[in-house]
Amino acid sequence: MLLEIAHLNVRYEKAVLINDLSLHVDEGELVSLVGPNGAGKSTTLRAISGLVAWEREIKRRSAGGEIVLEGTVTFDGERIDQIPAHEIVRRGLVLCPERRRPFREMTVLENLMAGAYLLRDRQKCRGTLDKVYYLFPLLQQRSRQIAGTLSGGEQQMLAIGRAFMSDPKLLCIDEPSTGLAPLIRREVFDKISEISRLGITILLVEQEVGVVFQMAHRNYVLSSGKIIAEGTGQQLLADEVLRKTYLGL
Amino acid sequence: MNILITGLITGSMLALLAIGFSLIFGVARIVNIAHTAFYMVAAYCIYYLSVRVGLNPLLSMLTAVAAVTVLGLLVYKFLIDPIREHEGAVLIATIALAMVFQEVTLRLFTGDYRTVDFLITGFFTVGGVKVFYQQLLTFGVVLVTLGAVWFLLMKTRLGLAIRSMAEDREVANLMGMNESRLAMITLGISVALAGLTGAVLAPLTVLNPYMWMEPLIIMMAVVVLGGLGSIKGSFVAAFILGFTEALVVFLVPKGAFLKGSVALTIMILVLLIRPEGLFGVSFEEER
Repeated sequence: MLLEIAHLNVRYEKAVLINDLSLHVDEGELVSLVGPNGAGKSTTLRAISGLVAWEREIKRRSAGGEIVLEGTVTFDGERIDQIPAHEIVRRGLVLCPERRRPFREMTVLENLMAGAYLLRDRQKCRGTLDKVYYLFPLLQQRSRQIAGTLSGGEQQMLAIGRAFMSDPKLLCIDEPSTGLAPLIRREVFDKISEISRLGITILLVEQEVGVVFQMAHRNYVLSSGKIIAEGTGQQLLADEVLRKTYLGL
Repeated sequence: MNILITGLITGSMLALLAIGFSLIFGVARIVNIAHTAFYMVAAYCIYYLSVRVGLNPLLSMLTAVAAVTVLGLLVYKFLIDPIREHEGAVLIATIALAMVFQEVTLRLFTGDYRTVDFLITGFFTVGGVKVFYQQLLTFGVVLVTLGAVWFLLMKTRLGLAIRSMAEDREVANLMGMNESRLAMITLGISVALAGLTGAVLAPLTVLNPYMWMEPLIIMMAVVVLGGLGSIKGSFVAAFILGFTEALVVFLVPKGAFLKGSVALTIMILVLLIRPEGLFGVSFEEER
């Protein structure tokens, strides 16, 4: 098991965002996490990548609201739930955040190099950059362009490429298709499949259930911070109630 | 000609101050009101070392910059870091800090005006205006420093991390950048820049314990005009304000008294018309 989350709980003030969630991802898998808005999909990714703990620290220091984070996260045989976000990346768990979030003032190349911040070996960095350029030829053409001037689809490619530069063992991608035209979505999903075929384990959070169920090896359906179903796309779609109530299909 | 020279020098000094101020705000969201107080401390350090102790002026400048940087790091570690996420507290703490510096300086050196000797004496005349070699030297050092800062920010791994942290600290964390370490390094650079400004300006000005207030206000105006957190903006705005100030001082009767109000007027106008400034960064909403 590459990633194992056990009994994860996240509460912001009184609001329960994640309620006793357990899931696991095996090496080489493409696993999806689907569910309605506000189900806690993004929060799950933020919790395992250390951002919830980071936020909790800020709130604590600024005497802001209380954030509760409980449960264990094991990655590659090591507990990572007590480790700060910037150390988690080093271990190979990389998050490509929601809304893409490129460094808008920097060039495409600078964004990618920021992703490779921890890769101190020049040769390896160069090699990874070549892989990213191979996956996204467009990023090579645009390497000197300011990231803020890219289109939404291009920014998404950049965000994925930047995460790829961190040399992930597990790549978590949060809602890559949001706000993109159908054709571009298709392209983004194709790229994600391609990365998966390169042997990189992927945990994908998405709204677009139809496409994701075809791509992913396994899926978790999340609702109100709880996992309510797990299985292959076919298995989940066979469940009439689940399909109508939670998947909107 | 006088306007040009004064404008250039004031502008470049302001640029140094404002960039330092912007840097630490960008990376750690610290509004360091004491920024220019560090500049005053550096100037007094030089005065003490070169005039009272009789050290070589150049050596005393280097010592002063180093001392101020160490002082800044200590202050950061024990005063600012523990309250870093609490913006209001940081604001109050740094105001208090500036006043502490001012009062200590008053105690040690009294409120008398002090001067530091020129590093190199002599002048030449251009278009009927005396240009002191010291002015030229100051300007040169400032330009070189600005160039070095630019290189550091744009061409090095550390610079990339600083810019990433300034633009989106959450994502920077996700790239493995260590926030508290970067904040510390940036504060060091920021204070060193303030110290250096004090060092190169000291021979051109008169020292008094209140000398941090006026540049503080003008520097704030620069930062607001350039856009909070934007290095490029600080740079451009510094020269705009530097020249505006020179124009007002030389062309308006009794203009010297209007310096501060011009800066404040610009600041208010910018806030009314274009709050994000010339090159403002609209910060990604932090959740």
